[in-house]
Amino acid sequence: MNQMVEANLGSFRDPANRVYHHQDPATGGKRVLRGIDQITLNNFNALAEEDFFQKLLENGRIVRTTLLDADDPVASEILRDGWSGVMEHETVPFVSYPYEWTFSMLKDAALLQLSILEAALENGWTLKDATPFNIQFIGCRAVFIDLPSFEPWTEGEPWVGYRQFCSMFLIPLMLRSHLGLDHTTILRSNIDGLAPTEAIKYFTGLKRLKKGVLSHVALPASVEKSIASKERDDAPAKLRKHRKQSVAMVVGLVQSLINLVKRLKSDISHTDWSQYDQTHTYKEDDFDAKKSFVEKYAGTADRKVIWDIGCNTGTFSKVCSPHCDTVLSVDGDHDAVDKLYLREKESDRSNLLPMVMDLSNISPGQGWAGRERAAFDDRGSPDLVLCLALIHHIRLSANIPNSFFLRWLRSLNSDVILEFVTRQDEMVVKLLTNKKEQYLDYDLPQFIEECGLFFDIEDRISLKNGRRELFFLTPKA
Amino acid sequence: MRSASFALFLILLPATQAHAYVDPGSGSVIVTTILGLLAAIGYTFRKYFYRMRRMLGVGSTPDPMDKEI
Repeated sequence: MNQMVEANLGSFRDPANRVYHHQDPATGGKRVLRGIDQITLNNFNALAEEDFFQKLLENGRIVRTTLLDADDPVASEILRDGWSGVMEHETVPFVSYPYEWTFSMLKDAALLQLSILEAALENGWTLKDATPFNIQFIGCRAVFIDLPSFEPWTEGEPWVGYRQFCSMFLIPLMLRSHLGLDHTTILRSNIDGLAPTEAIKYFTGLKRLKKGVLSHVALPASVEKSIASKERDDAPAKLRKHRKQSVAMVVGLVQSLINLVKRLKSDISHTDWSQYDQTHTYKEDDFDAKKSFVEKYAGTADRKVIWDIGCNTGTFSKVCSPHCDTVLSVDGDHDAVDKLYLREKESDRSNLLPMVMDLSNISPGQGWAGRERAAFDDRGSPDLVLCLALIHHIRLSANIPNSFFLRWLRSLNSDVILEFVTRQDEMVVKLLTNKKEQYLDYDLPQFIEECGLFFDIEDRISLKNGRRELFFLTPKA
Repeated sequence: MRSASFALFLILLPATQAHAYVDPGSGSVIVTTILGLLAAIGYTFRKYFYRMRRMLGVGSTPDPMDKEI
């Protein structure tokens, strides 16, 4: 295999296809390709003739895809692996995973999955699986990316992806909506979602009467438990006959789930960061100076991707937005990011990709061999990183030494705008008030010294009468 | 009454872990049959309801792709 074409390490579960990446040696541009077997190729050719499919493409609900000619040099490289055809997909600016999506993002992804399935079923097609890993966000727009999922629906065939949909979309949504639990940690720990037999343990007593729990958690859990108890140990597994299901049954079930998902809500509460626009501690002049500084250095170069880590509700992501193709707006405060998503999704042209992540514990590589789902910082390189008023949380709340944080920032090999919050700042005073003092290294001179090991300080300004210091850093050679 | 008894049965049922040699997904056929039968009633009602509205000229069948996501 040519070194320029690489198989995606997370693409192997469906034997009918595999995703590949190609980097153009001349331009550095990346292409996303997919080797497909003969059945998938036939399906795609038939699907392309369907009006509903064309409409999905036109509406941007499905990733734009073309079939490559066999004599295309990259396609021929992939065809050598035994595939019958090669698709090329529109590139997603940054791959995000369901355990990095807010409640509203997961809910929109669930509704996308269901509405595509509903349209498919009504036109004689179905989707063979129902995993949120088949959906990506381009900005704040959910896009279905797994075209080989489409296959003709056979009369009488049940919805085979139902259980997967419940485990990976519905149950995490219900856990947050009904019980206020953090769905992101549950999805991160359970890469295939939460099975009904596990989920039912959260819904004890009268909690089972909450919307959808009896039908989609308690009933499947009791059926699975019953099967397991009858067929365990040396009892032979019973062959369950294919029970024919009418289109009314299958589409009716999908529509009932659409109604259920739409009714699930998660209120945005007043967390530390969800009201940042109103509660930040800056006077207007300082806030304007900070915005100008960020805008100046966001716009100094041709930047494709900017990461705003610790973005709160995205005030400074918006400042960067006109100066790059994509801004990753990352924060550990779910409600702040959800607020950002709900605001940005109203605009079709938003280039902000919101993500929920504890920045002291970023998403690791996981799944098969720890490589099926890539670590957050292995999925792409930023051209600029914003970390505004984040470092005191990293040092004083998460107990991560400044040098560790700076070393990680340097590993990203990008420019950095960093705001250091000094000990005199009221937010640091608040953080340290009830803590044992063990952070003597946390002061401005030491920070500058440590910073110099990894970065060149190109510019700096003082804010809030010297209580905060804003730096523009470039990586040391 | 029967559905209330069934609901009570499900609420009181203790939860246990499924076992490794049994494919838990195989039970989905049973679940989707039960839920599908109930859902088909609503689907059929809606289908004829929209058809009647269309015949009376007071509306059209909603297109799933036009739904707001």
